[in-house]
Amino acid sequence: MLQTRGLTRAFSRRTVVDGIDIDVVPGRVTGFVGANGAGKTTTMRMILGVLAATSGDVLWDGLPISVAQRRRIGYMPEERGLYPRMPIAEQLVFLARLYGLTTEDARARALDLLEHFGLADRKDDLLDSLSLGNQQRVQIAASLIHRPDALVLDEPFSGLDPLAVDAMTDLLLREAGDKPLLFSSHQLDLVERLCDDLVILSAGRVVAAGSVEELRGQGPERFRVVLEDDDAAWLRDLRGIAVRDVDGSTALVDLDGVAAPELLASITERSRVGEFARVHQPLSDIYREVA
Amino acid sequence: MTTTPDSHRTEVPAWRIVAEREITTRLRQKSFLISAAVLVVGVVAIVVLGSVFGDRPKHYDVATTDPRSTAVVEAASTTLAASHEDSDIAVRSAPSPARAEALVEDGTGDAALLRTVAGFRLVGAREVAGDLSAVLTTAVQRAALDANAEAQGVDLSALQSGAQVDQVLLDPDAENAEARSTLAFVMVLLFYATAVIFGITIAQSVVQEKESRIVEILAAAVPIRSLLWGKVVGNSVLAFGQVALVVVAGVAALSVTGSNDLLADTGGALAWFVAFFVLGFLGMAGLWAVAGSLASRQEDLQSTTMPGNLILFAPYMIAVAAGEGVKTVFSMLPITSAMLMPARLAEGSVPWWQLGVAVAANVVALVLTIRFGARIYERTLMRTERRIGFREALTLSD
Repeated sequence: MLQTRGLTRAFSRRTVVDGIDIDVVPGRVTGFVGANGAGKTTTMRMILGVLAATSGDVLWDGLPISVAQRRRIGYMPEERGLYPRMPIAEQLVFLARLYGLTTEDARARALDLLEHFGLADRKDDLLDSLSLGNQQRVQIAASLIHRPDALVLDEPFSGLDPLAVDAMTDLLLREAGDKPLLFSSHQLDLVERLCDDLVILSAGRVVAAGSVEELRGQGPERFRVVLEDDDAAWLRDLRGIAVRDVDGSTALVDLDGVAAPELLASITERSRVGEFARVHQPLSDIYREVA
Repeated sequence: MTTTPDSHRTEVPAWRIVAEREITTRLRQKSFLISAAVLVVGVVAIVVLGSVFGDRPKHYDVATTDPRSTAVVEAASTTLAASHEDSDIAVRSAPSPARAEALVEDGTGDAALLRTVAGFRLVGAREVAGDLSAVLTTAVQRAALDANAEAQGVDLSALQSGAQVDQVLLDPDAENAEARSTLAFVMVLLFYATAVIFGITIAQSVVQEKESRIVEILAAAVPIRSLLWGKVVGNSVLAFGQVALVVVAGVAALSVTGSNDLLADTGGALAWFVAFFVLGFLGMAGLWAVAGSLASRQEDLQSTTMPGNLILFAPYMIAVAAGEGVKTVFSMLPITSAMLMPARLAEGSVPWWQLGVAVAANVVALVLTIRFGARIYERTLMRTERRIGFREALTLSD
C-alpha cells in the first residue's frame, strides 16, 4: 500500500499542500480530484520524490519509502515529456535501462508494450512524427516500462478523445492489475466510471476521501418518483421527505426520516406509481458540496 | 514493493546509460560528423599548405654569356644549396647579352648575369628574387676578391685570418620559430572552438530535457546527480575524441610532409595540449550544465551561457594579444591555462614549476566547479517554468 501522512509543501511562505493523508490500496483505483491549483501535481511530485516535502512522509507498506522503492513507481507527469527527436522504441529502452533493466530485457519489454498499444510498426519513428494520441500512448508505455509496483499518473487522459480514453483505460486497468494506482483528473465522469476510491482535494487539503460508495452514502438517500397520469406536486405535502425538484409527473425526493418502503406505500395510496428508483448522487454533486 | 533481487535487473550505473545516450545521439547527427570532418581537414590543410609554401626547395635559372659569369653562378649555386636543402641555380648559356636578356624576358631564365666594364650586371624581368640576388652578389664579390688578391699577390686567407664569425644560437627554440607560433595559435583556437562548441552542447542537452519535460521522468528514475555526470562524461568523451582525432591527424600530416624536426620540437607541447584540454574542459563542464539548468528554453541559453563564453573568450584574447608577463600569469590560472600553457610550450620551454602550478590549479578548479555545478544543477533542474538568474540560483533551497 502506498500512503502519505501529513504531507506538506510550502513554497516560500505559501503552503500549497497542507498535511495530506492518502491511502492508495493495491488492486484499487484511486481517483485524485480537485480544482486547478488544489495541489494534486505537487502531491504526486512529492510521492515520486522529484520534489522534496516540507514535512510529512510517504509510506510504502507502512514504512517510509526508500529510494529503491520509489524507483519502482510508474510515473506519468502532468507535463508530458519524452525526447521529441528520438525513435520511440529507443527511448523506451533508454528509460527501462535507467530503471535498471538489462538491455535485452528492456528491448523485449519495449516491443511488448508497443505491440500492446498498437505501435509496433512505428517503433523506429521519431516521437514527434506521431499523432498526439499515439504520443500519449508512448507516454503511458513509458510509465509502465519497468513493470512498476505502483502507478502514479497525473491527468493521464487529458487531451484524448473519448474513444482513445476508453482504449487507454482498458490498457491501464489491465496493466495495473493488483497494484496500487493513483490518478488525478478533473474529468469527473471518467473518475466515477474508473475509480474505486476517491480523494478530493481543495486548496491543499483533503476535503473528502473514501470509497466511491461511502462518499455517495454520505448524502441523503434520493429517489426518483414518476406518477402515472398525475402531477407530482402534491408530494410536497408528504412528511419525512424533502422534495428537490418537480417536473410534471416526475419528482426527485430525498428521504428525511421516513424509510423507502413506507414512502412508496404512502404514495401508492393516492396515485399509481410508474417508477420508484434510487438515484445515485453524481460525483459532481459530491464534489461541489465539498470543494 | 518487494526488493527481491531480480535476474532482469542489472546495475549499470545510470550516469553511464545517460552518457551513452549523449554519445550515440550526437554521433548520429550529420551536423556533428560534418563539423568534426571539417575541423580535421582544416588542420591537415594548414599543415600541408604550410609545408608547401614554407621551406620548399628553390630552383633558379640564370642566363650567362661567358665562362666568368658561369663560374660565379656555379659558386652561388653551391652557396644556396648549403643554406637551402635541394636548391640550386642552373646555368643557361646564351650566345649574346641580347639573347640572354630575351631568355629572362620570356621567363626561361629567372635572371641574367652579364659582364660589364665595372664588373657584372644582374638583369631581371620585373624583379630578382631576394635570395638569388643575395647569393649571386656574394659570389661576384668573392670571385672579384679572389681574382684581385691573386693579381696583387696577396694571400687572401692570411688577410682574412681572425675575421671569421661563427653564428651560434643559444635559444634552442629559435629554430622553426614561425612554425611554432603558428602551432601555438592553432592550439589556442582549437581549444577555444572545441570547448565552446561542446560546452554549449552540454547546456543544450540539459535544457532540451527541461523543455521537453522528460526531466521529471528522468528525475523520478535516477538521482539528478547521475544525469549531470552522464551529460558531462558523454560530451567530454566526444570532445576529447574530437581533439585527439585532430591532433592525430595533425601529427600524421606533419610527419608525412617531412616536418619531423618541428614534430620533435613540439610533440611534448601537443601531448600537454591534450592533457590540458581534458582538465580545462572538465573544469568548465559543470558550469555549462548549470547554464542549461538555469534556462527553461533554448532561447534562454544565450544569456545563461554568457559567463562560460566570457571565461573562454578572455584567455583567448590574452593568448592572441597580451604581452609575455600577462600570458605567463594567466598560463598558470585554472581554465585559462588550458589554452595558454600548451601555446607557451609550443613556442618555447616553460619552467617545470609553472607547469605544476597550472596542473594543480586546474585540478582544484575542476573539483570545485563540478561540486558547485552539481549543487546548483540539483536545485534548478526541476524548475521548468522560467529562466533563473545566477544570483537567484545561489540563494535557492530545495
